[in-house]
Amino acid sequence: MNKNKEQLLNKRYKAEQRFRLYGQSAIFMALLFLTIFIFKIFSTGYSAFQKTWLIVPVTFDPELMMLEQNPSKEDIQDADYYDIALKSMADLDLNANEDQENELKRMVSYFFEKEIKNELLNDPNLIGKTKEVYLTASDDLDQVFKGNYPRDLPEDQRRVSDYQLKIFDQLVVNGKVESKFNISFFTNADSREAELAGIASSFMGSIFSILVCLMIAFPVAVLAAIYLEEFAPKNRFTDFIEVNINNLAAVPSIVFGLLGLGVLLAIFQLPRSTPLVGGITLSLMTLPTIIIAARASLKAVPPSIREAALAMGASRMQTTMHHTVPLSMPGTLSGTIIGLAQALGETAPLILIGMVAFVNTIPGSPMDPAASLPVQIYIWAESAERGFVEKVSACIMVLLGFLITMNLFAQIIRHKFEKKWS
Amino acid sequence: MIKIKAKDVDVFYGKKQALFNISLDIEENQVTALIGPSGCGKSTFLRCLNRMNDVIDICSVKGEILINDFNINDKSCDVVRLREKIGMVFQKPNPFPKTLYENVSYGPTIHGMAQSKQEMDEIVETSLKKAALWEEVKDRLHEPGTGLSGGQQQRLCIARAISVRPEVILMDEPCSALDPIATAQIEELIDELKKEHTIIIVTHSMAQAARVSQNTGFFHLGQLIEHGSTDKIFKNPDNKKTQDYITGRFG
Repeated sequence: MNKNKEQLLNKRYKAEQRFRLYGQSAIFMALLFLTIFIFKIFSTGYSAFQKTWLIVPVTFDPELMMLEQNPSKEDIQDADYYDIALKSMADLDLNANEDQENELKRMVSYFFEKEIKNELLNDPNLIGKTKEVYLTASDDLDQVFKGNYPRDLPEDQRRVSDYQLKIFDQLVVNGKVESKFNISFFTNADSREAELAGIASSFMGSIFSILVCLMIAFPVAVLAAIYLEEFAPKNRFTDFIEVNINNLAAVPSIVFGLLGLGVLLAIFQLPRSTPLVGGITLSLMTLPTIIIAARASLKAVPPSIREAALAMGASRMQTTMHHTVPLSMPGTLSGTIIGLAQALGETAPLILIGMVAFVNTIPGSPMDPAASLPVQIYIWAESAERGFVEKVSACIMVLLGFLITMNLFAQIIRHKFEKKWS
Repeated sequence: MIKIKAKDVDVFYGKKQALFNISLDIEENQVTALIGPSGCGKSTFLRCLNRMNDVIDICSVKGEILINDFNINDKSCDVVRLREKIGMVFQKPNPFPKTLYENVSYGPTIHGMAQSKQEMDEIVETSLKKAALWEEVKDRLHEPGTGLSGGQQQRLCIARAISVRPEVILMDEPCSALDPIATAQIEELIDELKKEHTIIIVTHSMAQAARVSQNTGFFHLGQLIEHGSTDKIFKNPDNKKTQDYITGRFG
């Protein structure tokens, strides 16, 4: 009898130990995956925050620029920079033939002419003088400098020729190649050229979409939740509504995209590819999430608080607005943030309403065409050029940073509210 | 003086009848205790008096309840005005998760009883003094009410209830969640409050009913078995069931 009891006890202890082990290994697995994921993203992405510059001496020859003596600001603005730009690149190798000169030109971005022009606009005294100017390296050389380029491939399988590599290596040896923080990644809109592409357009697009989504979804969802929870009679009809709200939460997001396409664009003729349409579409998706969270947190307010307020002679409306709703706000807000975070990472519906279009301007309002961060990731991931690989990871990092900031913000708000009400 | 007159009150929860034909007169400025075993309907009757049963969808009340000769079950009765006149203290202390000051000033605020901050301060101070809580909390009026001890919280709820100067205070087992010392304080307070208010208290403790009340009603299975002065009910009840309950033979 006693032995039997001891066996049972041992069995129980062992079961408990096993259970702990399962739990610990589950957590370990989760952490492992997270670490691998983050390591992979960071190791490919961090280099995108650095940009490679070639330092090239440029002679601002007034004759080549077709400039008269004592030119005005407008003259400098309108001057011809192509020839001096080309010449300064060609001068990197004085013995270059015509083909090689062309190759030299392609070592920098097609933007190099403008970079030289800006240099002169900043300092008009440079006319007739020579100055070393920072020129954005082409994306391939950028990758070469970062060590991501397969230099040992046969020449005909590379976009960078042996000649370009030779010149580039000389520049490196002479200290004429420099790596600096890549500001243009944050200030430029998208571009077909990897070295010039940035996230400004998609970042602003995401912000505008989220704002539109928040402004539509939050008030509608909170009002719906308050009405359903506090005022609506409990009958078949409200049950039916409740079931359908839950169904709405389970609808695949691409369906909402089709809805946006069919209703907002086709019927209401709203401008396509804009954060306005994107935000409205996303708000449909976020709505049920917020309603469910808000109802749950309204339900969690103890009935004794409602009774206390009612017994003081508060009307139902006052009870709700003075007591129940403020008490439920922290839960509602965290539900809203979860919904918005989902919306922020949503790609499929935005592709359907045209936010996948190539946008090389930065949107100034929700009515301007824009991409969004996840769509930008999708666009770049599709691009063939090697320079976009690191951009994809960098964009993911920005998106993750955005999400973490949002969550942090939500936590702070929650914390403040809860302090006030405890 | 009769303050409240209940005539043939029936209460139904859905199809189930919870109260049968209750007729009871309640004296002004006295304490009336409602006693009886669990589930006998005494709390249900109490909640009829300020129409708190309205909140429960399936609950319906029939019969007349006259307060100052006005039937509160009449359609013309405004619940908000009624509850302003009839305060309630619940079984579990339920202060709002706000500051002490906000707790007490809530009623006067929504009923527009104070014209200025000064007036409000006065109302809060008198209410807390009447609830015998002022001395303990006067230095921390702007701290959360939920930070008080259980007994203090219940006195805060009483202060909140009397802040709107109700004519009647309903108390639903106000001491059941409190320790003996806190209970004694509340009982003392009830004795003080009856000078200005009519008090109806539901209690499980017969000793408490005997201590604080002048009149007692005994409920059993949804019926009012007997009512009368507390002395008579406890010393010389007419009904055998009352006798059995009082002496602890059931309940």
